[in-house]
Amino acid sequence: MSILKEVRFLLQKELVLEWRQKYALSGILLYVLSTVYIVYAATQQVQPHIWNALFWIIILFASVNAIAKSFTQDGEKRQLYFYTLVNPMAVIIAKIIYNALLLGLISFLTFAAFSLVAGNPVKIASQFAIALFLGSLGFSIAFTFISSIAAQAKNSSTMMAIMSFPVIIPVLLTLIKLSANSMRIMQDTAIWKDIYTLIAIDGILIAVAIILFPFLWRD
Amino acid sequence: MRKFWWKYLGAAILVYVILAGMLIPLKPGVLEISPSTAQAAQTMTFTVEGYNTNYDKASSSIRAWLRSDDDHGLTASEITVVDYNTLNVTFNIPKWLPYESKVKYFSLILDNEIDGASVLPSAVSLTQEVPNLARAKALWPQGNIKDLHTNEVISFPYRNILYETIRNLYFHVSLWLAMMILFIVSVFYSIKYLRTFNKDFDDKALALTSSGLMFGILGLITGSIWAKHTWGTYWTWQEIKLNMTAVAMLIYAAYFILRSSMEDSERKSRISSVYNIFAFAALIPLLYVIPRLTSSLHPGNGGNPTFGSEDLDNTMRMVFYPAVIGFTLLGLWISTLIYRIEKIKDKLYDRV
Repeated sequence: MSILKEVRFLLQKELVLEWRQKYALSGILLYVLSTVYIVYAATQQVQPHIWNALFWIIILFASVNAIAKSFTQDGEKRQLYFYTLVNPMAVIIAKIIYNALLLGLISFLTFAAFSLVAGNPVKIASQFAIALFLGSLGFSIAFTFISSIAAQAKNSSTMMAIMSFPVIIPVLLTLIKLSANSMRIMQDTAIWKDIYTLIAIDGILIAVAIILFPFLWRD
Repeated sequence: MRKFWWKYLGAAILVYVILAGMLIPLKPGVLEISPSTAQAAQTMTFTVEGYNTNYDKASSSIRAWLRSDDDHGLTASEITVVDYNTLNVTFNIPKWLPYESKVKYFSLILDNEIDGASVLPSAVSLTQEVPNLARAKALWPQGNIKDLHTNEVISFPYRNILYETIRNLYFHVSLWLAMMILFIVSVFYSIKYLRTFNKDFDDKALALTSSGLMFGILGLITGSIWAKHTWGTYWTWQEIKLNMTAVAMLIYAAYFILRSSMEDSERKSRISSVYNIFAFAALIPLLYVIPRLTSSLHPGNGGNPTFGSEDLDNTMRMVFYPAVIGFTLLGLWISTLIYRIEKIKDKLYDRV
C-alpha cells in the first residue's frame, strides 16, 4: 500500500471515529463557546488589541486541549495493530491533517462566536484568513508531535503544556503580529516576511516530526 | 597530562581571557561636554570631560573641532587644560551654521599626540536665527580636520553608552556561542543514539545538554546585569532576543522534566533523544529567525542579532575568539564529569 493511500485510509478512520463518537468535537466546541462567553463577560468592551490577544489565547488553549488526546485515545492494542499494518509516517501525517482540519474548524467557530459577542475588528479579511490557516497548520504540527511524546510520559497533560507552550511561542508571536496587521492596529509594509517565516517554521517542524515520529512509535 | 591536554588548554585560555579582558584599558574617549547647547554668534567655553585621557601630559598638542555632517569643521579658539581628564574648550561660533535648519547637532572631535583622536557624536546643539548657507560655508572651512594622531597602545574601543561594559562581549557572547556548540554536539549524540540504541550516547547527550543549559542561564544572567548598566533595566519586553532566549531555556528545561517523568530506561533514552532533536529544531526560529524580523536593543542591531562587525576591532578579536574556544572546552570538560556521574549512577542502580 502506498503511503498516500495509507494516509487517506487513516484520515477516513479518524473522521468516521469522530463522527460516530461526536463527544470529542462537541466537547471542544462547547469549551470554546464557554471560554468566549467568560472572556466577553469579563471584558465587555473589547478593544481591538485586547480582542487580538484574547482570541489567540482562546485558540491556543482550545488547540492544546483538542490535540492532547490524539495519541491517548487509541488504546495500546489498537496502536500495536496499526503498527503491524501501516507506515508510521502515514500515521503522523494523517493525524496532522486531521488535527489541522479540526483546528481550522475550531478557530473559525471561535472567530464567529467572538465576533458575535465582542464585535469584529478585522479590516483585511484575506490576511486574517491566512493567519487562521497557517495558525491551524502550525499548531496542528507542533501539538500533534508533542502529544505523541507526552503520551509516553507519566503525567501526560502537564507534559503536554510545558513542552508545547514554549515551542509554539515563535508561531504565536508571528500570528499575533499578522492578525494585528489585518486589524490595522499596526502597519507593517513587509507583512509577507512574516507569512514566509510562518511557512518556514511550519516546514521545519513538519520535517522534524515526520523524521522523528517512527522512533516514538515503536514500543 | 597527554590525554587531557585540552582541559589544561581550556583552563589556560580562560585565564588569559579573564586577565586580558579585564586588564587591557579602554581607548581614551570623550565622556561628556557641558553645556550641550549654544547660540550662534557667541563665544562659548565648554567643559569637556575625558575618559582614560592624558590631557595634562599632552597639553601642547591638544586640538579640538566642532564638526558638521559634511566635514565642515570649526577649530577651537582656545584650549586650557584643567587636569588629566578635564578641558576648557572655547569656540567662536559664527553667526551662520552650514545647515538650512535652525537647530542642529554637532560632534566634538579632540586630538592630541598621546591619546590620539576621539569623537563625541551629537555633542552640542547649536541654534541660529536666520540660516544662510552660502555665507556659512566660508566660516566653516571644509577639510581642516586633518593630521589626526592614532593611539598605538593596546586597548579596547571606546564606545558611548557601552564604556567599560564592552568587556562583557568576552563572557556574555562567548557563553552563547559555547552553548550553541554544546547543544549541536548534544543533538549529534542524540542522533547517534537513535541509530545505535547504545545508552552511552544518550548519557553523553544528557551531559552536554545540562552544561549547555547552564551556560545559557549564565548567558542570561551576564546579559541581564549588562542590560541594567546600559539599558537601565534587568528585563524588558522591548528586547526580543532576551525573551526568546528565556523561552529557549524553558524548552530545554522541559527536556529534564520529560526525562524525570519516565522510569523505563530504554524508553526514557529514546523519547528524550527525540525531544532533544525536536527542541534544537525549535531553537533555530527562536534564536535566529524571529530576532531578525524585529528591532533589537543589542549593539549592532537593526536586523542583525550579533555584535556588529564594525564594533569588533582586532584587539577585541584577539580576546573574543579564544574566549569562545575556552568556554567551549570548559563546557566539554563539565560535560565529561556529568557523563561519568551518569555512568556511576547506572552501575550503582543496576547493582541494587
